[in-house]
Amino acid sequence: MTEPVSIEIQNVSKKYKTAQENSLTDVSLNIATSDIFGLLGPNGAGKTTLISILCGIIPPSAGTVHFYHQNQLITEQERKSHIGFVPQEYAFYQELTPRQNLDYFGAMYNLNKEELEARREDLLEILGLARFADKKVGSFSGGMKRRVNLAIGIIHKPDILFLDEPTVGVDVQSRNAIIRYLQEINNAGTTIIYTSHHMSEAEEFCKHIALIDHGRVIAKGDLTDLRKAHDAPNLQSLFIKLTGEEYRD
Amino acid sequence: MFKVFSSLRKEYLLLINDKVGLALMFLMPLLLVFIITIIQDSAYKMVNENQIPLLVVNHDAGKEGDKLVALLKQSGLFKIDSQDAVPEKSLKSELLSRGKLIGLYIPKTFSSGLESNAADVSNILMDDLGLERDSASAEKVSMPTLSFYNDPVLQENYSFSVMGIIQSYMSVIENSLMIDRMYTTMDLGGQSEALKKKMISNRVKINQIVAINNNSTAIPNSTQHNVPAWTIFAMFFMVVSLGSNIVKERINGSFLRLKTMPTTFMLVMFSKMAIYVIVAVVQVALTFSMGIWILPELGLPKLTIPTNLFAFASVILISSMAAVSYALMIGAYARTEQQANGFGAISIIIFGAIGGILVPTFVMPGFMQFASNFSPLHWCLEGFYILFLKGGSWQELKNVFAFLGIFILLCQLATYFKLRMERII
Repeated sequence: MTEPVSIEIQNVSKKYKTAQENSLTDVSLNIATSDIFGLLGPNGAGKTTLISILCGIIPPSAGTVHFYHQNQLITEQERKSHIGFVPQEYAFYQELTPRQNLDYFGAMYNLNKEELEARREDLLEILGLARFADKKVGSFSGGMKRRVNLAIGIIHKPDILFLDEPTVGVDVQSRNAIIRYLQEINNAGTTIIYTSHHMSEAEEFCKHIALIDHGRVIAKGDLTDLRKAHDAPNLQSLFIKLTGEEYRD
Repeated sequence: MFKVFSSLRKEYLLLINDKVGLALMFLMPLLLVFIITIIQDSAYKMVNENQIPLLVVNHDAGKEGDKLVALLKQSGLFKIDSQDAVPEKSLKSELLSRGKLIGLYIPKTFSSGLESNAADVSNILMDDLGLERDSASAEKVSMPTLSFYNDPVLQENYSFSVMGIIQSYMSVIENSLMIDRMYTTMDLGGQSEALKKKMISNRVKINQIVAINNNSTAIPNSTQHNVPAWTIFAMFFMVVSLGSNIVKERINGSFLRLKTMPTTFMLVMFSKMAIYVIVAVVQVALTFSMGIWILPELGLPKLTIPTNLFAFASVILISSMAAVSYALMIGAYARTEQQANGFGAISIIIFGAIGGILVPTFVMPGFMQFASNFSPLHWCLEGFYILFLKGGSWQELKNVFAFLGIFILLCQLATYFKLRMERII
């Protein structure tokens, strides 16, 4: 019996107007429901472009992306209610407090006042932000800002969560807290699509991965199977083996 | 509804957290109105109510020089400081050292020159009438020249006004001399007083009427001019707060994040516009309140609100919309906050200058008057002036609404296309 699929990506290519080459070429992937799927690759490989297409920020130049909820194909508009997006940037208001940020973005996800208040207080507690809930985010450390960024992306309990390098530049404690919570919500059924440059973190966190380089998928599948197939002791070795050792700027 | 409320609340919170923006939007207009109105009012009083300090050096050998000084004194317009011992060549330095702005030098041949000219005029008349006259040739003295000195800081139009006053008194003296001379030639000496009195007292009077509509109760003064003008300037200065606010949201990715959410970007724009239109209305309320209640306490004229309140509210609303739309456009096109702040602020000063906020458009050269049509501040100011100074009607406001409407539309379209190009919309 095949696993239910949340996202079906078929032959997706992307070429930006001003670019000479494709950022993505003929990418096809299926991401199963409740999976933790790692999109890995060197700088400029096309990971963020693929996530942006999946989130509906930019359209693909070619190919299709389908989203499913409980095995039913959903429309692009419906998709917005089912996904959560945690970008690499601190995409929130530094002049506001975590509580005010969550109130605003939660309302944009169509949560009503009561739902929003309950969920907001839960998240502030879980992510260790309750004590700072009424302080301006601008004064926070990098780790705290990452947690605010994450809280905004999951305030509406999305079925599918996109995380673009959610732990970049944070301390070990914050990283552990973030990863632990992400595993919890995955256990509760959330599909997670994740990019990172931390190979050990990705190895510990992801069930399946796709390795992308120069806009093409160069390997995909179960992480253990891939390591065995390429005779790599760990993900980092596999990564270097498949993408090479030269600098990527 | 909760979504709309949350969006408005977010904009409000961002606004109240922007302390510099708030100071620029609320303190600056109050200070500008306060300072500029006081300065302009004192300048107005200096010309119209206070005596003009005038240094007079009278070297005239005759009595006409004294007559001119006496007439200037009698007019009550001048506070005369007579320094006849000062030589003409040192009058400039004397003027500057005494802190006087204006000096008048009456030359030695002032009386003789005027008398010689009166004799010439009288002789021509006698010849034309075929009457006998004393043909003994008197010594000809050329027409005298008065020298008018002014401090370089004095505005040209002010100097011209003072010279005009002196010129009118000179006419009195010259006419009087001519009449005396003619009467003497006709052996009617001593009987000229009645004619002189008649000629001097029966001159054409000029009745000044301010061109306002009948329904206006406002009297043009420094308050009526400055309060609306600087309020408009301050309204447009919201570009610093709103423009940089948009740039920040574009750069930090929150606009793109919103694109992944089940909401419309129009809600974001609507909320921003609504909050900043309210800001503009509060600016108007604050500065106008100052004009009504605070300026009169300082001895300045009171601001009189137009009687057509609906038209007044409409002009405030469309001016606010124009300011907000311009700020949105700057926010959409600027790449950094510094660009939005710098370009935004400088462009408003330029728009203000060509739009008649700093200097009235009627004193500008023709091409600048034409250029003022391209300044949104000019049309906002025109709208306020039609209501505040001319007691104007809807009919007179139609150009204001048309031009500002076009400006708003262009700004909104430009903003839309830029945000669309960036895939935010």
